[in-house]
Amino acid sequence: MSQRRESKFTRTKTKSQREESLLSIMQLSDSFFPAGMYTMSNGLETLFYQNKIKNAKQLQALVESCIRMQIGVADCVALGNTIDAANASNIESIIEIDQTLYAMKLVKEIREASVRSGVQLLNCIYAFAKNSLLNKYRRAVSTERATGIYPVSLGIASNITGISKHSAALILLYSFSVSFVGAALRLGMIDHKEGQKIIHALKPTIATASKNVTKPLQAMWQFFPALDIAQMMHERIENKMFVT
Amino acid sequence: MGSRHIPRLGIGGPVGSGKTMLIEQLVPRLVAKGYRPAIISNDVISKEDAARMKAGLSIEKGLVPEDLIIGLATGGCPHTAIREDPSMNIAVVNEIESKHDELDLIVIESGGDNITTTFSPALADYFIYIIDVAGGDKYPRKGGLGITSCDLLLINKIDLAQHVGANLKVMERDAKAVRGKKPFAFVNCRTGEGIDDVMKYIVHDLLFELPPKNVSKKGRRNA
Repeated sequence: MSQRRESKFTRTKTKSQREESLLSIMQLSDSFFPAGMYTMSNGLETLFYQNKIKNAKQLQALVESCIRMQIGVADCVALGNTIDAANASNIESIIEIDQTLYAMKLVKEIREASVRSGVQLLNCIYAFAKNSLLNKYRRAVSTERATGIYPVSLGIASNITGISKHSAALILLYSFSVSFVGAALRLGMIDHKEGQKIIHALKPTIATASKNVTKPLQAMWQFFPALDIAQMMHERIENKMFVT
Repeated sequence: MGSRHIPRLGIGGPVGSGKTMLIEQLVPRLVAKGYRPAIISNDVISKEDAARMKAGLSIEKGLVPEDLIIGLATGGCPHTAIREDPSMNIAVVNEIESKHDELDLIVIESGGDNITTTFSPALADYFIYIIDVAGGDKYPRKGGLGITSCDLLLINKIDLAQHVGANLKVMERDAKAVRGKKPFAFVNCRTGEGIDDVMKYIVHDLLFELPPKNVSKKGRRNA
């Protein structure tokens, strides 16, 4: 139902609306957008210090696994359901999605970083967009009925700025990939050309994973214990560059 | 979201210029006047500065609760964390503001960076930039946004000037030339020399001479 509504919405967009939507996609996926992504390595820093991930090939395999086993099947599903619920102005459903995804993230550092990033995204959107659903969700966050976790906040932002579910999923997955590869670059694991090569090579994985955005909330899962453990170990290391 | 804004003091400067030691000198003076600070310490590669301040200011001296000295990793981008994308710092500030209405100010220490460092006005209300004489007496005249635009420029480690061939008169002349009427001060954060003057600027320009919250509450109760 909501997919049909969204398709109709997309078909009836004017050229100007489509261009604004495209610009919104560029704005939200740009690393210049202030969501704090550059502070996250998603456990890569631990794996690098432990010499478990040492080169571009291993890095690419790790990011692909993370997209397939965590971000695509959990964050993307939450994102798609948030956009559906936002299209239906259903704040209670959005809160349920928020709480479900928060409960699914096993590692404290990862949960907290996603929440901080999401809340700042909301605050930034609030600076230039007035929207009753945004107000309701921000109120739910401030009264601790919701957390503001990043994929749900991105879903609200996408709804407000006229970004389709599929494009929103691409934003989420692309931003995550750039954050991961950017961390590798700053750790000195790869150079700038290798970084772009990996981003390019990740496109088929991103495209496939983005299809999860149409799945129902009940289909959400994640399972990548090796990375969970690395992320938990990151919480305990003293000398570190990244918050995750 | 919706919490009361607590005044925020941003402290930036190059690596090793004395940012942490400045905080270690300021906090006892602030607490002696009744002000209650929290500290966020951005660090490029560790939480060492936060750990040092916890050991000194919390555990040893009992001046700041341990959970109100917060270390923050910045992904290797210290200036991004306080200017282009200060979202992680603002998130922590918001968390403090929502839970600790009793605080009088939040001190935000930048990771060590270069002379173009500035704080986003969305993050800091008052910006101190600190350099030291060991970088040479050319430092002030090189300018850079940190040196020229900060609210207060501090030149630290003045006791070392004679040993490194830095002329303080040259630094004073150049600081005045690049900053116009904006203030600057010589300090020695190891001995505390000049720190009382820094306190006057903070109390006047950031805290607007308002009494500490706990004092004003007591005053209201007694009235």
